[in-house]
Amino acid sequence: MKDSRKMIEVDNLSVIYPGGIKALDGVSFSVPEQEIFGLLGPNGAGKTTLIMVLTTLLAPTGGLARVNGVDVIKDKNRVRMNLGYVSQELAIDDELTGLDNLRLQAGLYHMDHAIRHKRIDEVLELVGLMERARDRVDTYSGGMRKRLDIACGLIHRPEILFLDEPTLGLDIQTRHEIWHYIKRLREEVKMTILLTTHYMDEADSLCRRVAIIDRGSLKAIDTPESLKKQMGGGLIVFQFDQSARPETIDQAMIRLKNQDFVREITQKDDEYLLLTDNSEESLPLFFEALDGLRLNLKKVTLKMPSLDDVFLYHTGRQLREESVSREEMDRVRSSMRRLRKTR
Amino acid sequence: MTAMTIGLKGAYYIFWREIKRFTGQKMRILMSVVQPVIWLVLMGSMMARLTDNPVTAEMIGVDNYLAFMVPGVMMMSSLYTGVFGGISIIWDRRMGFLIKLLSAPIPRYSIALGKISALVLQTMFQVSVIAILAAAMGITFATGLPGILVTLLICGLFAAIMSCISLFLSASIRTPETLFSVINFLTLPLVFSSSALFPTAVMPDWIRAIARFNPISYAVIPVRDLVISGWEWGTLATGIWLLLLMFLILFVLVYYRFEKGSLL
Repeated sequence: MKDSRKMIEVDNLSVIYPGGIKALDGVSFSVPEQEIFGLLGPNGAGKTTLIMVLTTLLAPTGGLARVNGVDVIKDKNRVRMNLGYVSQELAIDDELTGLDNLRLQAGLYHMDHAIRHKRIDEVLELVGLMERARDRVDTYSGGMRKRLDIACGLIHRPEILFLDEPTLGLDIQTRHEIWHYIKRLREEVKMTILLTTHYMDEADSLCRRVAIIDRGSLKAIDTPESLKKQMGGGLIVFQFDQSARPETIDQAMIRLKNQDFVREITQKDDEYLLLTDNSEESLPLFFEALDGLRLNLKKVTLKMPSLDDVFLYHTGRQLREESVSREEMDRVRSSMRRLRKTR
Repeated sequence: MTAMTIGLKGAYYIFWREIKRFTGQKMRILMSVVQPVIWLVLMGSMMARLTDNPVTAEMIGVDNYLAFMVPGVMMMSSLYTGVFGGISIIWDRRMGFLIKLLSAPIPRYSIALGKISALVLQTMFQVSVIAILAAAMGITFATGLPGILVTLLICGLFAAIMSCISLFLSASIRTPETLFSVINFLTLPLVFSSSALFPTAVMPDWIRAIARFNPISYAVIPVRDLVISGWEWGTLATGIWLLLLMFLILFVLVYYRFEKGSLL
C-alpha cells in the first residue's frame, strides 16, 4: 500500500464554526487508491463536515486537504470533476424520470453528447435500473432511489466516490441491497470510496479500513479486524451449576486470575465475563485451569468483540443521537419518508 | 472551456431541469392559464360596467376597462411567476438537491441564471396565453404581432427582475411560509400603488406620486400603449431601458449573494 497513490490526504485539518464550535480538530489521515475507507462516528461527530471540506463545499479554517493530489481550496472545479458525491439526503429530483436525472447530472459535469448515452447505460446497468429508467422517480422504491442517487454520483467516472450515510433510514433488506452494489463498485470499477456511517455492521462489511471519529477528532484508524483485536480477542462467558459451592467458586476465581491469558474477569448476576486476548485459543487453557476442581459448569459461550465494543472503548460511550438543527432533522426526515415509500 | 462557457452551460442545464419539471406538472400549467382567466373574466367584467357609462369613463380616463386591464393582468402574471420563483431554491435545499448543484463543477451563479431563464420562459408562455384569451374577448393589440413580441420582451424582463428579488431573498430564507409573507409584504403595496389594475385618475395624489416611480408602472405603461394606442417610442424606450437597468443591478446583487454567501 505504501507505493500506491494517495487519493485523499488530510493533514491537521480543522473547521471551527463561528461561535467557536470545533467541528473538526486537527484531523490527519490518507486514503490510498482503490480502498473503501469508512468514517465511523455518531451524529455530530464531524463526519459530514469532513466530507463537505473534501467536496469543496466548506472551506477549512486550518490544515490541508487534497483530493487526488489537488488542493480543495485552490482548484475547486478540478477537485469536483474528480469526485462523485452522494449526500446523506436523497439528491434526486422526484418529478423527473431516472433517465432525466442522469442527463442533468451528465450535463452539469460537462459531458459530451457522444459519450453521454454510453455512460448513462453503463451506470444504469451497474445499479440495475435499466428497465425503470424511463419512469418518474416518484414511482421508485426507497432502494431504487438511493441506487439512482449513487448512479448520478458515478456518471462522470470519478476516481473517488464519497458516500455520506448511504443507508441511513433504509430497512435491513434494502441496506443489504445497497451494500451489494457498493461491493460491486469495489470489484468492477475499482474505485476509491470514502463512506461515513454510524452503523457498525456497515463499516465492518464494506470497509478495508475504518477511522473512528468523535467530537471532531480521530480516535483510532485501522482495519476492522485489527481494531477488534486491540480490544482483545474476545470474551468467555460462563456460568456455574447451582450445585457449585461458594468456596469452590472462589478457588476457581483465584486460579483463573493467575492465568496469563486472562485480562479481566467481571461478574454480572450469576454470569462471569472473562476478557482475553484470543477467546478461541484461551478456551482449552480455561478448562485446564479449572481442572481438578469439583465444579460443574452450566454453560460456556464465546463472544467476539464487535465494532460496537471498539467504538465504546475509544469514545467511552455508545453511538448516540446528538441534537441536530431543525433544518437538518427536516431534511433527514423528508429523505427518510421518500426512502421508505415503496411501490 | 472558458469560465464563461462553463457558467452558461451550467445555467442551461439548470434551465432544462426547471422546464422539464414545469412541463411535467399538468396542474401547474393549467393553473397558470386559469389564473389570468379569473382576473380577466371576473375583475375585468365587473370593472367594465364602470366604463360602459360615458360619464364615469370620462372621469377615470379610460374608454374600455378590459383593454386597460389586459396589460395589467399580463404584468400581474409576470410579477407572481417571478416573485414566487425563488421558492424552488428553498425546496431544493430541503430536498438535499441544492447540495448536488453546489458540489457540481459549475459556478453558483449558473443556478440563479438557469432559474431566472426558466421563469422568464414560463412568463412568456403565460403572457401569450393571456394575449390569446384577450383576443377571444375582443381585445387585440393596436400594434399587432410585433407589438405582442415586444410585450413578451417587456414581461420577460419584468419577471426577471422579480425573480432576482425572489432568489436573493430565498438564498437566506429557509421556509416557504417566511418567503410568502415577505413577498406579500413587498408586492401588495407595489401592485396597488401602480397603474397595473387601476387608472391613475382614480388615485389620491399621494398614491399617484408613488405610482409614477413604481417599477410596475414602467413595465405596464409601454405595454398599454402597444395594446391601446400604438407605437409610442418614447415611453417604450424609457420603460425598456429602466427595466434593463433594474435587472442588471439586481442580477449583480444576486451574483454576489450566490457566489460569496452561504446557500445551505
